[in-house]
Amino acid sequence: MMDVGRHPNVELMSFSEVESVSGFVGNFHVTVRKKARYVDPSECTACGECEKVCPVAVPDEYQQGFSSRKAIYLPFPQAVPSSYVLDMENCLGNNPIACGKCADVCEKECINYDDQDELVNFEVGVIIAATGMDVYDPTEYDEYGYTRFDNVITSMEFERLICAGGPTGGHFIRPSDHESPKSIGFIQCVGSRSKDGRGNPYCSNICCMNTVKDTLLLCDHYPGVEAKVFYMDIRAFGKGFEDLYIRSKEEGVKYIRGIPGDVVEDSQTKNLVLNVENTTTGKIEKHELDLLVLSQGVIPRRDGAQIKQLLTLSSTSDGFVMESHPKLKPVDAPTKGVYIAGCVESPKDVKDSVTQASAAAARASILLNAGKTKIEAITSNVDIEKCNYCDVCSKVCPYNAILSADKKTNKPPTIIEAACAGCGACAAECPQDAISMRHFTDEQIMAQVDALLSVDPHKHLIVFACNWCSYAGGDMAGTSRLQYPTTCKLIRTMCSGRVDEKFVLQAFRLGAPMVLVSGCHFSDCHYINAVHWTQKRMDRLWNKLDRLGIRADRLQLEWISAAEGQKFAKVMRDMEEKLKQVTEEEIEYTMKKLEEEAKKEEEKKAKKAVKRAKVTQDQEVNA
Amino acid sequence: MAVKTKEPEELRIGVFVCECGLNIQGTVDCTSVSEYAETMPDVVAVIQNKYTCADPGQNEIKKAIAEHNLNRVVVASCTPKIHEPTFRQCVADAGLNPYLFEMVNIREHCSWVHQGEKDFATEKAKDLVRSGVARARFLQPQIEAEVPITKAALVIGGGVTGIQTALDLADGGHKVYLVEKEPTIGGIMAALDKTYPTMDCSI
Amino acid sequence: MAPRPVLFKCLMCGHEYDGMYDADNVTERTCPKCRSNSVRRLPAKKDK
Repeated sequence: MMDVGRHPNVELMSFSEVESVSGFVGNFHVTVRKKARYVDPSECTACGECEKVCPVAVPDEYQQGFSSRKAIYLPFPQAVPSSYVLDMENCLGNNPIACGKCADVCEKECINYDDQDELVNFEVGVIIAATGMDVYDPTEYDEYGYTRFDNVITSMEFERLICAGGPTGGHFIRPSDHESPKSIGFIQCVGSRSKDGRGNPYCSNICCMNTVKDTLLLCDHYPGVEAKVFYMDIRAFGKGFEDLYIRSKEEGVKYIRGIPGDVVEDSQTKNLVLNVENTTTGKIEKHELDLLVLSQGVIPRRDGAQIKQLLTLSSTSDGFVMESHPKLKPVDAPTKGVYIAGCVESPKDVKDSVTQASAAAARASILLNAGKTKIEAITSNVDIEKCNYCDVCSKVCPYNAILSADKKTNKPPTIIEAACAGCGACAAECPQDAISMRHFTDEQIMAQVDALLSVDPHKHLIVFACNWCSYAGGDMAGTSRLQYPTTCKLIRTMCSGRVDEKFVLQAFRLGAPMVLVSGCHFSDCHYINAVHWTQKRMDRLWNKLDRLGIRADRLQLEWISAAEGQKFAKVMRDMEEKLKQVTEEEIEYTMKKLEEEAKKEEEKKAKKAVKRAKVTQDQEVNA
Repeated sequence: MAVKTKEPEELRIGVFVCECGLNIQGTVDCTSVSEYAETMPDVVAVIQNKYTCADPGQNEIKKAIAEHNLNRVVVASCTPKIHEPTFRQCVADAGLNPYLFEMVNIREHCSWVHQGEKDFATEKAKDLVRSGVARARFLQPQIEAEVPITKAALVIGGGVTGIQTALDLADGGHKVYLVEKEPTIGGIMAALDKTYPTMDCSI
Repeated sequence: MAPRPVLFKCLMCGHEYDGMYDADNVTERTCPKCRSNSVRRLPAKKDK
């Protein structure tokens, strides 16, 4: 911690939050909000005089509320930066008349009640998200009585009570009477591997070994203490872990296979009585304990949504962040130049966190050392001949990569190639078909539609799938070997926002019974909000089909994330059911109707062209 | 920018059907897919491989590009998420613009999800290859823009992971911005007494 | 444009329900009955 605080290459911005991220690989513009700290960290010597005079006492978060801190405080003795911070919410008021004691005694005069948040902008080439995790709150497991009984604590609370730097100076006591407990129980998997809707279904990875560690600390500090661990399975899979587990058992710790059904408090002694079915013996047992520790699970950060959105990270079903590839790119985010490490990716211990941290640093160094990178050639182009300067494109672009057209000055829209990410929403929305996407052109996609429907058209479900989520969700279904009917044929676009109305209509015109458009969930959209245009366009398409007398529900829409292989397979099965309901007459009618529409459209276009030619001619004559 | 082709050239498409050991071949009749590909207009070479992504498979592609003067390459194998970069590099090595390559996913999207339906899965694979070849006809060579990398990193989160990442990058000589939400770095690790497996102090 | 009440229809299961629509702040739609995302905003009915 100290090393990073004083490293000449590290600019440490504590008490700060990332406010916005824009740009692209190698060229990210970052804005960070440095929150008002009211104490100048470069001047503060952590002498502690301010703390002595502060009249406010609030529960100390670091000590899990077991002790109190002042409104002006040092989070913990080894804090980096080693500087006090003023908790303005609990301060008596930044009005010096109200209090102002701390500023009076500060010799360095580094307390400033008028301190303001500050926005800092800078540029970086790569970003590593190491935003960590939160711990599970066991309150909802009411049968364990965490909020009802004094002597039921969590594993995080245990850490503070056993720590020499803790509120008790390392004297391990129980909350009810401050006596040293003689018998201590641990319940494992609290909030983990749960099937009843409370907590989470996944294994939190670290809790087994954390409890083994806790029992060893107890045996070490208090020989003769009785420790019991109630568990489903002990997962001691890491290097050296089994040794620790065996050591714990040799120290006399009892491991009892069975999760207690309930916990009762003796109102006199405040001891706890556990009822548990020992699944090894099949017998119901009663255990009386002085103290009970709930081995709480790990959960994704409660405040994680903002960073996920800023970096367009998507989540797996457990809420942790999805990596580019579970085996081959475990620390790469889908967005180039962004990496993930630590518990933001999944629950893990210190060693695994450090391993991933170094992996992410190494991956990021590849780009930093290369000094340059190539951008996939999938950006957009405007055909000025076709453009009528309506300026829809610049409004659609999620990246503001299109400079507005101006009809008056005859200024066509200009695309900033480096800022274009290639979603294709502009190309799909352009009413003149004047925008083309490189490598995902209209003719390329139309050719796929045509080719698929050139043989037995009524047998195909045409699926437009976005590259990042739905297509990858299909991959996930494949990797998981989830089976579904063979009718679906995927056409990949970078974003569902690329799916032009005419692609869908073409599919119906050629006899497709069903069309599915699929993309990322709104929160996962890899092009900020390009997916919004997909939904708007679908409303338009459904209305259009309705007008033409074509059943709107033959066109379906689904948001399927890269992790939702299950959903992908289910959707394909649901589509199959829908497809079976489409009659041959319907298809025939649709084909005929859309053929007529296409002809009308063409006639209109031809008329327009004639008109336009006339105008130009007139202009030329006038000139 | 798209490279302007001087004159419309004759399309010469090569299709490479991958068996992926038994991963594809186990469900999809690759020979039947290959035979079907041969009947498609503009397809001048069809080659079936056990593992197209392996060196021998890639060499077949390079050889065929030279031998048949291919100007479009379609590989029917796994998801482009895994091997599109591999094959783009492969065709580039053979002198073809990497954007003249197209991938058809007959593993994740076909053989693995239609096990036990050999006939239907084979038909679907043919459909997908037909679609890929159709797209390939319209592929254009592209030149990728090169962008500079700002030599600085942003690390979000000052827990044990963020600290280690920042230190590694900083020791490597890179400028690092380490942003932490709380007044101090250390994260959850700093609230732990001892950590396993070494049973030593966390801070 | 201010958010306005609209009628949504799920095109998977046919379920219809009332909701709000804000053209400036489009949100993800999920059918409360069958969880499908094929939720159509029905056009406002014209006065007869």
